[in-house]
Amino acid sequence: MTRNDPIKHFFIWPALLIVLLISIFPLVYSLTTSFMSMRLVPPTPARFVGFGNYLDLLQNPRFWHVAGTTTLIAVISVGLQYVIGLSVALALNSKVPGEGIFRVSFLLPMLVAPVAVALIARQVLNPTMGPLNEVMTALGFPNLPFLTQTSWALGSIVAVEVWQWTPFVILMLLAGLQTLPDDVYEAAALENATPWQQFRDITFPMLLPISVAVVFIRLIESYKIIDTVFVMTGGGPGISTETLTLFAYQEGFKKFNLGYTSALSFLFLIVITVIGLVYLAVLKPYLEKHK
Amino acid sequence: MRKLLLASASLGALVMGSAGTALACDPDYTGVELTATTQTGPYIASALQLAAKGWEEKTCGKVKVVEFPWSELYPKIVTSLTSGEDAFDVIAFAPAWAPDFTDFLSEMPADMQKGADWDDIAPVYREQLMVWNGKVLSQTMDGDAHTYSYRIDLFENADNQKAFKEKYGYDLAPPKTWKQYLDIAEYFNQPTNNLWGTAEAFRRGGQQFWFLFSHVAGYTSHPDNPGAMFFNPETMDAQVNNPGWVRGLEEYIRASKLAPPNALNFSFGEVNAAFAGGQVAESIGWGDTGVIGADPKQSKVAGSVGSAPLPGSDEIWNYKTKKWDKFDHVVQTSFMAFGGWQAAVPATSTKQEAAWNYIQYLTSPAVSGQAAITGGTGVNPYRISHTTNLDLWSKIFSEREAKEYLGAQKEAVTAKNIALDMRLPGYFSYTEVLEIELSKALAGEVTPQQALDSVAEQWNKLTDEFGRDKQLAAYRASMGLAQE
Amino acid sequence: MSVRTLKGKRRWLALGGCLAWLAITFFPLYWVLITSFKTPIAVVGGPTYLPFVDFEPSLTAWSELLSGQRGQFFSTFWASTIIGLSASIAATFIGAMAAYALVRFTFRFRLLSALIFVVIAFGGFLLGRHMLGYGQGISLICSFVAALALAVISSRFCLPGPELGNNDIVFWFVSQRMFPPIVAAFALYLMYTEMGKLGFKLVDSYIGLTFAYIAFSLPIVIWLMRDFFEALPVEVEEAAMVDNVPSWRIFFGIVLPMSKPGLIATFMITLAFVWNEFLFALFLTNSKWQTLPILVAGQNSQRGDEWWAISAAALVAIIPMMVMAGLLSRLMRSGLLLGAIK
Repeated sequence: MTRNDPIKHFFIWPALLIVLLISIFPLVYSLTTSFMSMRLVPPTPARFVGFGNYLDLLQNPRFWHVAGTTTLIAVISVGLQYVIGLSVALALNSKVPGEGIFRVSFLLPMLVAPVAVALIARQVLNPTMGPLNEVMTALGFPNLPFLTQTSWALGSIVAVEVWQWTPFVILMLLAGLQTLPDDVYEAAALENATPWQQFRDITFPMLLPISVAVVFIRLIESYKIIDTVFVMTGGGPGISTETLTLFAYQEGFKKFNLGYTSALSFLFLIVITVIGLVYLAVLKPYLEKHK
Repeated sequence: MRKLLLASASLGALVMGSAGTALACDPDYTGVELTATTQTGPYIASALQLAAKGWEEKTCGKVKVVEFPWSELYPKIVTSLTSGEDAFDVIAFAPAWAPDFTDFLSEMPADMQKGADWDDIAPVYREQLMVWNGKVLSQTMDGDAHTYSYRIDLFENADNQKAFKEKYGYDLAPPKTWKQYLDIAEYFNQPTNNLWGTAEAFRRGGQQFWFLFSHVAGYTSHPDNPGAMFFNPETMDAQVNNPGWVRGLEEYIRASKLAPPNALNFSFGEVNAAFAGGQVAESIGWGDTGVIGADPKQSKVAGSVGSAPLPGSDEIWNYKTKKWDKFDHVVQTSFMAFGGWQAAVPATSTKQEAAWNYIQYLTSPAVSGQAAITGGTGVNPYRISHTTNLDLWSKIFSEREAKEYLGAQKEAVTAKNIALDMRLPGYFSYTEVLEIELSKALAGEVTPQQALDSVAEQWNKLTDEFGRDKQLAAYRASMGLAQE
Repeated sequence: MSVRTLKGKRRWLALGGCLAWLAITFFPLYWVLITSFKTPIAVVGGPTYLPFVDFEPSLTAWSELLSGQRGQFFSTFWASTIIGLSASIAATFIGAMAAYALVRFTFRFRLLSALIFVVIAFGGFLLGRHMLGYGQGISLICSFVAALALAVISSRFCLPGPELGNNDIVFWFVSQRMFPPIVAAFALYLMYTEMGKLGFKLVDSYIGLTFAYIAFSLPIVIWLMRDFFEALPVEVEEAAMVDNVPSWRIFFGIVLPMSKPGLIATFMITLAFVWNEFLFALFLTNSKWQTLPILVAGQNSQRGDEWWAISAAALVAIIPMMVMAGLLSRLMRSGLLLGAIK
C-alpha cells in the first residue's frame, strides 16, 4: 500500500530531528550516570559502580512493591477507562438526546491539570470538610478512611484516574467511530443483525486499531502516574500507594541520588517496553485479521 | 477614549515625576534588578514582596519575586546552585536545607553583624541557626518553634474543671508535662459531642516528624548534653531508638488516637483547620495556629485561643549514662521545629551587595515587625522586639490572647533548654526513612521500638555512605557545637 | 437520520448512562466552583452545597488570586497561553506530516545505521567530555552532528543485519514517551544550561520550553494520527495521483481536510497535555515563562490546604480549556458532516 517518493523525507525529518535533539542528551546522560554512584547533595564525586545501582534496586523490596502498586493502578484504571469510555462513545455516536452537550462536558476532566484534579479529589474526599463522607454518613456508612487506609486509598486513586482520563478514551473512540463508513451498517441493517451482533462483528473489530492505540498510550501514561498520588496520599500510608515515578521523584529530587534514579528510570523503561511489546504482539494477529 | 488615554498618560508622568524627585536613592541601586525566589505566596512570598516595595522606593533598585510550589522549591534551588546558573540573587528557604546549600552561599557582610538590630535577633537564631562553621551564611526572616494552643472556654468551664479534677486528681490547666497533655486530650475526646482531644500532623509528607520531635525533645534533650537529641555528637551514632525516643513515639501514637477521625491524613493545615473549626480542645504546632484561631474570618473559636509553651518532663534520658535522669522540677524544653525561613545570597549572584542590602531591609525591626502582625505573611516572631510590642498584636488578638501568645512565643525562642531541629547534608534521605517507619508505627504495623530500631539502622548506614566524619562535622556545626 | 442511531428503550438506557456519567463528571467541578466562592471559615465548618442557601458566597479567593498575592497570575496565564497554543499547533502539524509519511511511504533502513548513530552519539559525547576535555555543550553538538551524518551516509550503503521499517520508526517515536520524566527533565535542564553557556539562552525562554513541548508531544501525535490516516480510504489519494497531483498537495489539499476530526481531537489532547504539564515547566523556567500548573500546584503549600485558593487557581486553569473544548467540538461536528457526505 505504501509508496516511495523522495518527498517523504521532507515529511518525516522535522519530527525526527526535533525528537532526536531533545531526547538524545537526557538518554546519554542518564545511561552514563546509571552506572555511577553520584549524588548532588551531599556532593559526592561520581564513582563508577557498574551494574551496582541496578543490582541494588532489584534487591530492594521497595522497588518490587512500588512496581506492583503501579501495575495494579495502571491496569485497573485503564481497564475501567476503556470500558466506560467505549460505552459512552457508543452512546454519543448513536445520537443520544442532548449529545451535543454531553460531547463537550465529558471532555472537561481531561483538560484539568492533574495536580488540580488531585487537589480537588482531596477536598471531596476530606473526612470532615468534604461532601462525600457526609453523604456516606447520611446513608448510614461510617466515616470512610478514603485516603488513610491502603485499600481505600488505592481505590480512590484509581477512581480519580478513571474520572480524569476516561474523556481521553471517549474523545479518541468517538473520533474513530465517526470515520467508520455507514454502508457496512446499512448492509447489516438489511440483514436484520441485532445491535449486539453489529457491535461484535462490525463496530468493535473496526475500532480495534484505534482502541489498541488508545489503550497503549493510556497504559504508558498511567505507569508514569505521580501527581495524583503525590498530592492525595503522598505515597502513604507507609509506602503502600507509592508508585514508580513517585519513588523516582523521592530519590531524584529530594535526595538527588542521580545514579540510582537513572538506573531506576532505565529499569522502568525496560519494564514498559516489555509490556508494550507483549501487548502489541498479543494483539497483532487480531489487527491483521481485520485489516 | 483619547481623552482617557491622555489623562492616564499624564497621571503616569506625574507619578513618575514625583517619585523621581521625592526620593534620593539611598544606597543607590538604580538599574539593579534582583531576583528573589521562595515558595508560592502568600506565606513568606508576600513578606518578600512587601519588603520589595519599600526597598525599591528607598534604593531605586528592583526586586522580582519568583515563586515555586513548596514541595518543588528545594529541587529548584539545588539544581540552580549546582549547575552554576546565575538564576537567583536572593533565596528564601527552609533551614533544614542549609547544609546542602552552604558550599554555594556568600557570607553576610560584616557590618550587618553588629549594632542594635543585630542584637535584637533572638540568640538562638543569631548564634546557631544562621551560623555555619563560624560563618553567618543566612539571615532568619521568620521564627519557628512549636508551642501549645488550647481552648480557654473549654478549660475554664466549671463543669469541665470539676469533672477533670475528679477523674485525674489535679486541676485542669495548660499541661506542664506530656503526660498531662495526654490526660487532657483523653478527657476532651468526646466524639459524640463532635469534640476531640488534640490535633497533630500525622500525614507522611505533611510535617509529621516535627510533631514527633516535639514529643521526643521533652525526653531526650538533656540540659547537660546539648545537641545529642538525634545523634551522638562524638560518634555520630543514631540516637533515635533510645528509650526517650520510644517514649516520645508511644505518646505521639497515643495522641493520634485522641484526634479527629482520619487524623492520620492531617498535615499542619488540617491541624489549624481542626483547631479553628472548634473540633479539638488543644493542639501543638507553629505560631500560625494561634493567629488563625484568633481570626474571626477563619475561625469559630476566636476570642478563646489560649497559648502556652510546649509541655516538658521531669525525666530525661541521658545518652551517656544510658539512664533516665530524674529532675526535681519539670524541665520545659522548647523545640525549634523547622527553625524559621532563612534568606541567603548565592555566591553565583553578581549583585551580592544589593541582595544583602535588601535582606537587611526585609529583616529590619520595623519592616519585619509589621510583617509579623500582618496576616498571611507567615512571618512569626524572631526578634525580641517582635514579642515585646503588645500594641502591635492587639489588632488581631484580645488582650489575654495576645499576652499568652507572645509569652509562649518568647518563651519558645529564649527557653533555657532549647532543642534544635535536625539539619544535615542529605536531609531528605534521613527524613524519608523516618517518615516511612513512622507511618508504619502509626498504622500499628510495627511496634514503636521496632520502627525506631529500623530507623537507627538505616540512619547509621546513610551516615556511613555519606562519610561519617563529614556528617559528624556537619552535625556538630548544625547544633552549634565546636569542632573537635 | 443515520442507521446507527439508537431507537426505543435502548436510547433511554443510553441516556440514563450518559446522565449518570455527566453527574460524576460535573460534581467535582461544581464543588470547585462553589468552594472558590467560600470564605475560609465556611470551608472549615464542614461541607455546604448551595450558594446563598447554606453559605454566603464571597470573592476573597478571587481577589487574592487576581491581585497577585498568590503568585504572578497574569504573566503565568499569558505564558501558558502562548506556549500552549504554539507548541500544540506546531506539534500537531509536524506530527501529522510525519504520521502521514509513515502511513503512505515506505521507509527502510538497516538496524546497523541506527546503531551507528547511537554508538557515535554516545561515544563521541563521552570522548569529547572526558578524554578531550571539551565542554558538555560542544561535545554534545559535535557528536550529534557526526552521528547523524554517519548514520545517514551509512544508510546509503548495503549494510548487513536486520532491516527496519515504518512500524519500527513509529515504535521508536512512542518509546520516547516511555522514559520516566524525572531524570529526563533534570538532564534537559543541564543541557539547556550548557547551551546557555555557549550563548543560546534556552532556560526560561520561549524557544526552550516550546521546543521541549513539541518534542514530547510528537510521539503521541504521530501515534494517534497514524491511525486516523490509516482509516482514510486510499482511493481518493490514488485518484489524485493518477492526475499527477504532487504529494504535498495531496496531503494539504485532500488528506488534512478529510481527517479533520482526528486532527482536532489530537490537537485538543496535545493542548491539554502542554497546558497542564508540570515537571518540564518547573525545571526549564525560572520567572519569565513560568506556566499555570506551577501556580496551581503552589497553592498546596506547607501551611496546609487552603481550599478556596486552590479552587480559584484550578478554575483559572480549567476555564480557558473549557472554552477551547466548546469551540473545537463544534468544529469536530462539522467534520462529521463532511464524513457523511463522503
